[in-house]
Amino acid sequence: MKTEILHKKLERYVNGEAMPAETRQIQAWLSCTTSETELSATDKMKLEADILKEIQDETAYPLFYPKQEKPWWQKITAMF
Amino acid sequence: MSRTFTPDQELIDRLLLNDTDAFEELYCRYWYSLYNYSVKKLQSSTDARQIVKDIFIDLWEKRHTLPANFSVSQHLYSSVRRNVVTCLNDKLENADYSELLEQQIAAGFTVEALQDARKPVQKKQLAPTASELIRQNTISREQPRNHVLNMASMKWLVRMVAAKLD
Repeated sequence: MKTEILHKKLERYVNGEAMPAETRQIQAWLSCTTSETELSATDKMKLEADILKEIQDETAYPLFYPKQEKPWWQKITAMF
Repeated sequence: MSRTFTPDQELIDRLLLNDTDAFEELYCRYWYSLYNYSVKKLQSSTDARQIVKDIFIDLWEKRHTLPANFSVSQHLYSSVRRNVVTCLNDKLENADYSELLEQQIAAGFTVEALQDARKPVQKKQLAPTASELIRQNTISREQPRNHVLNMASMKWLVRMVAAKLD
């Protein structure tokens, strides 16, 4: 499909003006997850921490709601 | 992060009380599936990362306006679908991307590609489970049971010590 046609379809979908067939086509595309892409455990952990850090920087929630240090026995219990 | 499983609803209740641990637990639970979905759809890790970030920032900022019987998984998955479409639409406006998009993404909208994607998924070759190994006589029947027993007694012991200390 040409990108111009796709752009018009998506524009109508985003604005809630898509035809039923267009809506079905976009929703079918959204529902298909065929390709396999897996990150390594290290990359995954790094990315998880990086995105969380960006969220924290953006919302500043650690400043407004700082974490309280848990007692040592609760930390041990949480490990099991 | 606690290893005991907390239901989503309980985490949302705690999120309403500004519990940052609950927010981070939800993030850890869902970020990867949202990221993976966005990468598959947009073929761009930068866009996927931005989408995940936007979704969780939105969840944190709107935590006090969440409706009753709020389903966080439903909310997150519908948000990622909406954000993917919006992101793709924005990219299509940019002429620099159009050739790349035509090859990688627009091809997925063809009838053949959509029909192929609807075919049943083939089962992956997974590592054998404990019951399969028992059937194959690789391990004895007692081994997994003993392991479960040991873990259970360990958990009980730790809980007892923690209860005494509380």
